[in-house]
Amino acid sequence: MTAATAERSRTPRGAGFDPAFRALCFASATLLLSALAGLLVSLLIGGWPAFSTFGFGFFTSTRWNPVTDIYGAAGPIVGTLVTSTLALIISLPIAFGAAVFLTEFCPSVLRRPIGIAIELLAGIPSIVYGMWGLFVFAPLFAKYVQLPAMMAAPVGSIWEKLTTGVPNGSGLLTASVILAIMILPYMAATFRELFLGVPAKLRESAFGVGATPLEVVWSMTLPYVRRSAVGAVMLGLGRALGETMAVTFVIGNAHGLPGSLFDSGSTIASTIANEFAEASTPMHGSALIALGFILFLITFAVLALARSFLGKATV
Amino acid sequence: MNAPPAPESFETFVQDIPAAEVKMAARELNFFYGKSQALYGVSIPFAANKVTALIGPSGCGKSTLLRALNRIYALYPGQIAKGEILLDGENVLARGVDLGRLRARVGMVFQQPTPFPMSIYDNVAFGVRLYETLPKAELDDRVEDALRRSALWNEVKDKLSASGLGLSGGQQQRLCVARGVAVRPEVLLLDEPASALDPISTAKLEETLVELKKDLTIVIVTHNLQQAARISDNAAFMYLGRLVEFAATERLFENPHTAKTSEYVTGRFG
Repeated sequence: MTAATAERSRTPRGAGFDPAFRALCFASATLLLSALAGLLVSLLIGGWPAFSTFGFGFFTSTRWNPVTDIYGAAGPIVGTLVTSTLALIISLPIAFGAAVFLTEFCPSVLRRPIGIAIELLAGIPSIVYGMWGLFVFAPLFAKYVQLPAMMAAPVGSIWEKLTTGVPNGSGLLTASVILAIMILPYMAATFRELFLGVPAKLRESAFGVGATPLEVVWSMTLPYVRRSAVGAVMLGLGRALGETMAVTFVIGNAHGLPGSLFDSGSTIASTIANEFAEASTPMHGSALIALGFILFLITFAVLALARSFLGKATV
Repeated sequence: MNAPPAPESFETFVQDIPAAEVKMAARELNFFYGKSQALYGVSIPFAANKVTALIGPSGCGKSTLLRALNRIYALYPGQIAKGEILLDGENVLARGVDLGRLRARVGMVFQQPTPFPMSIYDNVAFGVRLYETLPKAELDDRVEDALRRSALWNEVKDKLSASGLGLSGGQQQRLCVARGVAVRPEVLLLDEPASALDPISTAKLEETLVELKKDLTIVIVTHNLQQAARISDNAAFMYLGRLVEFAATERLFENPHTAKTSEYVTGRFG
């Protein structure tokens, strides 16, 4: 009996399949990596005419003119960075507040419904956000935010410069708000997970010396999740950077550098979506692919940064 | 609906102590984790400036009782205490009790050392800063005093700004005691504070507690009967969510009045 047991444990039944299993897993991983590398290389090759023709000016020039076939990507690049950053600034405190509410104050009856609502919000296709943004949000935004803001701006002030624009509700800030709504559920859900990850004993000890929920969040939860929270924010940013449809609907799609918060502008993704079908000259197509390459790099950098923060998520 | 299991009936013996000496007490305390009941009509006094040990086999409800005393359980929805817990005669289970204030008066030290991710000094000052704004010099004194009373001062006085996480397990636990003591609580609750400590650290912690009871009332949950015998003045034996016997420690160990207690303290079960 003991001999039989020993013999069986020496040769597990699945041993013969092990090399094949390994090879399959390796192939899957390699396929993934080579797809990524292939994508990057083909974007670089496709965008090369634009990069080599306009040189560094491709990044700094604001002139994007399909008619004269001269392209500078500063407008979309700035538009992308500005809308994403504004979206972060708007959604960060709200996501934070929602997560704190869910983990500290929420009655247990509401915890599940709110959690589900956040997940559903994250699952809505972006084109729905875009349509809603254009038909419902933008007119309201123009009427109740943009016009009052323009009226209230003192003549000659920075405030006035920031608020000039056609009061039709589409523009940089509208796009930022829509983006903020879109990344909000992701960030709230991630924050919630992070907060739940704070060891119960740590929270209990803080409450145990008489701390209030605010004090516990401020002095225990926040320091504990700080690094990972930055990672979560970066993930949100990564999502905002690449968002296409919703932004295309509401940003106004104007070339060049936007002059104010309410001005029409464009992002890299919205420019590509708008123009790819109509790219008439090879250079136009190449410029769009080059834009794609830049977006790839920006997003990649942001996600890599997020990863490095999330990876070192220890106190 | 599952009805809660009928509590096993066994003889109980609760020795009274004079009302004037009672700092804190539970009266007919029932405790529920959702639908399952963990404490059945527990009534127990905690004498001022004494160490009261709660003993009993795992799952007997001793930690639950401890966690009810400062309402730390209230962090978790679904955990409900019914009955009365009196602190200086006032029911802390009443509505409208300021939980922060209550927990500052009734401090707690947990089974695992839980230093906060900050400096040793800040760990001790944390609770103080919540309720008092002291000048730097006075706060320094408070921190030193708390660390001395927790028998940790000599080991950390030269590295107060170092992280509390860098201390040994035993030092961390005494740091947690210091953190609790610094707030100047009236009652200190300890939930198996020595279970993660080596014998030398345990001895130091026990000395600390005996020293501390001059100023405050101590309630300690322990699995270690020798420890309970060494440091406690009164002891309560709990079993299946009920208080079986409460008496002076010596009496409880040497002359238990109920069969269950006798079995437990002589090591025949548990």
